[in-house]
Amino acid sequence: MAQRQLSVSPMRLRWNKVKTFLSKPYNVILLIMGIVVTISTIAPFIAIVKDTFEIHPGTIDAFLSKKNSGYTLVNYIDLFTSRLAKTNLWIPLWNTLLLAFWTCVFAIIFGGTTAFLVTRTNMAWKKYISGIFIFPYIMPQWTLAVVWQNLFNSNAVTGTSNGLLAALFGINMPIWWCKGLFPSVVVLGMHYAPFAYILIGGIFKNMDANLEEAATILDTPKWKTMFRITLPMVKPAILSTLLLVLGGAMGSYPVPHYLGLSTLSTKYISLNSKYTGEASILAIIMMLFGVIIMILNQFSLTSRKNYTTVTGKSGQTSKINLGKAGRYVIAVILVILTFFTSIYPIISFAFETFLPNPGDYSFLYTGNTDNLTLKWWITSENQTENGMYGQMGMLYNKTIWNAYKGTLLTAIACSLIAGSVGTLLGYAVSKQRRSKWANYVNSMAFLPYLMPSIAVGVAFFILFSGEKLNLYNTYTLLIIVGTIKYIPFASRNALNSMLQLSGEIEEAAIIQDIPWTKRMTRIIIPIQKSSIISGFLLPFMTCLRELSLFMLLCTQGFILSTTLDYFDEMGLYAFSSGINLILIITILVFNALVNKLTGASLDSGIGG
Amino acid sequence: MKKFTAMVMVALIATLMVFAQGGSEEVKEVELSRVQAIIKEAEGMTLSELAQKAIEESNGKTFYGLGNSSRGKTALPNFIAYLQTIDPSYTLTPEWSQPKNNSIFTMLAADGVKAEGTYAMTLIQDGNQIESKMVQTGLLDRFIPKEWAEANGTTAEEYDGYLPLQTLNKVFMYNCTGSKSYDNFWDFVAPGEHGLFMDVDSEVVGKNFLYMLTSPQYAKEVKAAYDALSAEEKAVFDPTIKAVSGDAEGLGLDENGKYALAWIKLWVESYNAQTDDGPICNTLVDKSATDQFGLIVYSKLRSVQESDSVSKNNIKVAAYEDGYTGLGGYGYCHYLFVTENSPLPWTACAFIAYMVEEVDGFSAWGKDIGGYSSNPVLAEKNEEKFNHKVGGMAEDGVTVKFAALNDRGYEWWAPRLVLEDPEYCASVSFTVGSWIDMLTKYSGK
Repeated sequence: MAQRQLSVSPMRLRWNKVKTFLSKPYNVILLIMGIVVTISTIAPFIAIVKDTFEIHPGTIDAFLSKKNSGYTLVNYIDLFTSRLAKTNLWIPLWNTLLLAFWTCVFAIIFGGTTAFLVTRTNMAWKKYISGIFIFPYIMPQWTLAVVWQNLFNSNAVTGTSNGLLAALFGINMPIWWCKGLFPSVVVLGMHYAPFAYILIGGIFKNMDANLEEAATILDTPKWKTMFRITLPMVKPAILSTLLLVLGGAMGSYPVPHYLGLSTLSTKYISLNSKYTGEASILAIIMMLFGVIIMILNQFSLTSRKNYTTVTGKSGQTSKINLGKAGRYVIAVILVILTFFTSIYPIISFAFETFLPNPGDYSFLYTGNTDNLTLKWWITSENQTENGMYGQMGMLYNKTIWNAYKGTLLTAIACSLIAGSVGTLLGYAVSKQRRSKWANYVNSMAFLPYLMPSIAVGVAFFILFSGEKLNLYNTYTLLIIVGTIKYIPFASRNALNSMLQLSGEIEEAAIIQDIPWTKRMTRIIIPIQKSSIISGFLLPFMTCLRELSLFMLLCTQGFILSTTLDYFDEMGLYAFSSGINLILIITILVFNALVNKLTGASLDSGIGG
Repeated sequence: MKKFTAMVMVALIATLMVFAQGGSEEVKEVELSRVQAIIKEAEGMTLSELAQKAIEESNGKTFYGLGNSSRGKTALPNFIAYLQTIDPSYTLTPEWSQPKNNSIFTMLAADGVKAEGTYAMTLIQDGNQIESKMVQTGLLDRFIPKEWAEANGTTAEEYDGYLPLQTLNKVFMYNCTGSKSYDNFWDFVAPGEHGLFMDVDSEVVGKNFLYMLTSPQYAKEVKAAYDALSAEEKAVFDPTIKAVSGDAEGLGLDENGKYALAWIKLWVESYNAQTDDGPICNTLVDKSATDQFGLIVYSKLRSVQESDSVSKNNIKVAAYEDGYTGLGGYGYCHYLFVTENSPLPWTACAFIAYMVEEVDGFSAWGKDIGGYSSNPVLAEKNEEKFNHKVGGMAEDGVTVKFAALNDRGYEWWAPRLVLEDPEYCASVSFTVGSWIDMLTKYSGK
């Protein structure tokens, strides 16, 4: 008997092992995804590193090396050691770090406090506040920067057209308020605060109030309860927000560009024509930050084990009583704040589309309706000069509507592919969570998300604009890049929800010999559909208004965000405002539709 | 033996010479690509002949053009209408893109490596980058239309430069709702002044303007404007001139170079950077912009709609004012090229010829002030049709309605503008250019 067993050849044994390994769908998923994410992450990185050594005709490396082709180290030498190093590298780097750090702080404080008030107190009008709070995340981030300019700029301080405050009330805000780090932090902070709100709110909502109540019974001072009990419990969510916002803020191009802050991403764009290779080094630096963030993320995941009690549902989640007046006073403050971050921009966008000249608010202080126009909407030809820079009105403007179609195509494709792949990945990782390979695949898939968008865009631009492989200015490229960037939305959602599922559920189905596809579609996905659908909805929404990631990969009329940016740069605010309205309405309609059909929504019912 | 060796050597040299000659001829032939061959043929054709070729080539197709000017979007439908006068069944879907932030070069380079590109032609500015990044790398091909060459008294073979569609001028304009006036080129860099200007890293022709100021011809003009200042005014600028005189020497500039460098330094450290000329124009024409000035494309004034606070009469063109001394702005060209991998080269050539030879072809630009056709015959016809010199007059032809709109024309402007010379710009791009990059840009009050 023993001899028989020994007679099995090692090849056959190995083959059997492989067969057993591949018979489990999650292993196949992990194997394929491992290869795909490795290539999709490493290949662009290699391409961009190569670009830093290449000589680009007509740029500084060609001038310094006195060659028109080949390879050189001069880009590194010049960027780090020339007299321009401070201007081109160190100041933008420092500003980037400051911007990323303070944006995180702002987003966590603003989003976290609101989440606390909505979930843990008896504040009035929670549902409204919860819904409206996520609006800044829906809107393209730089549109808030444009709104900021339109509100606070003044001829006396910024030397530009008077904003509303200056035009109507003669109030001139100081320069630090109008341009530079402060407004960039506030605008990006407001944009990312919904992240903190959703992540921290999710924990607050499910947090066991017994711990805080026990502290109250023991006569613990309130500040001590906050710092020793409440905050440590939400620490994982704060860390998650920190990591997600850090990458986002670092890679933001339009906000610092519009608000006059020199960061690595704005410097990349300004250097790219004359210092092409050096600009690629800046992109590599941004990518390295992505890797550091990933390492921090791994560290935070390990440390989260200490807080597993947080995830358990509490039998009682008592609300803090803000007092009869207090619950309304705080709500009114939040309503006013969210009015300026969410409602005012929409009103401002709508109003802008009826102004005779961009930023011409004559109507507001004269009341003369001659100072309003419908031309930005209804002009049906572009031959007569009527101050529209050769553009037709929005209702007839093919550029806008073609870009809209392109955006929908890209967003839907990215959402479906990233959502499906991410869900499968999350499922596979949850099944093999102790495997090193699964952890590797999970981390590699997450890496593009942690990397600044503009750096990812640069890397894919270089990779896919070569002679042999040229996908420049194609929807295929946008969909590939968008999918890779947004897989983590779905994979993280799927992983978290799959981890909540007991293995017994699937095991019961396996015993009954139910095939894997049926197990997934009939059991696992339906149970966690709300969370999984969020994994589809987030890529869709983010993709609709993404600029930094796509701006180098296509021309301006290709998708709506690049078209919007083009009109903003040109100062044609009526068009950019109109496009903003189209985007916001699209996202709200899709969100409402998905909410109606599946019960899933972006704020996931935090507002209860 | 010696004789034999000598004969072999002679035979060898002769053979080599024949091969060398034949070889060079062969290389020449090989060098002419598909698009270049079409261009060569097209350069001998009239517009109507080219139009026929375009109709055969592109009927029912989509034509992608890329340009620094948004008005290509208007010119393309005019071109299609022109082709339809020859063949009413002709259709073409026009697609025109205007990239921002200097990305036109990135786009053309990325598209240029494809076997067949997306873009059929381009309308592009910044001769410096065109030469080093586009022409030397073989991404763009020059096409000189026959009738354009004839109008300029030359031929495609003789003509040495690129094909300019037009020269555009960016001029100093200021809001005149206050009492301030600018009567010298140096007034724009006086203490406390912050002119509105497109950032030089966003639109590189602005940087070329600064490079050109250091050329002997324009540095002399800068110095002449300085000489016209009063002693008090000079004293304000003298410390800066003195501070940069060493740099001027180091950069190999002539004796007036220090005045140019001083002006550049003061300008870069004071101008208020904006994303486009559009927002600058919107600012300047508003009555709230009292005493503000900008350096912007003259033609932007066309887009201003009169309202209670906005008017074209709120603005003055500095160089038009009596007593103004010095340069009134700068001029740069929009060049036309066929892409080396053009999917529709005949149509591209026809479109280019149409824009530089026909009034309707140029009308997208020609209907407005501030854009001057490179074709003297066309320029004349254009002025006859649009009367820009009296464009700001009321219907009675006597009353001045909008003084700033009376465009004095290219001949008047040319000596008052800093005109871009791609060769000079390329030669100082990494010397004067790096010096400019070192300056600290103005970032707000």
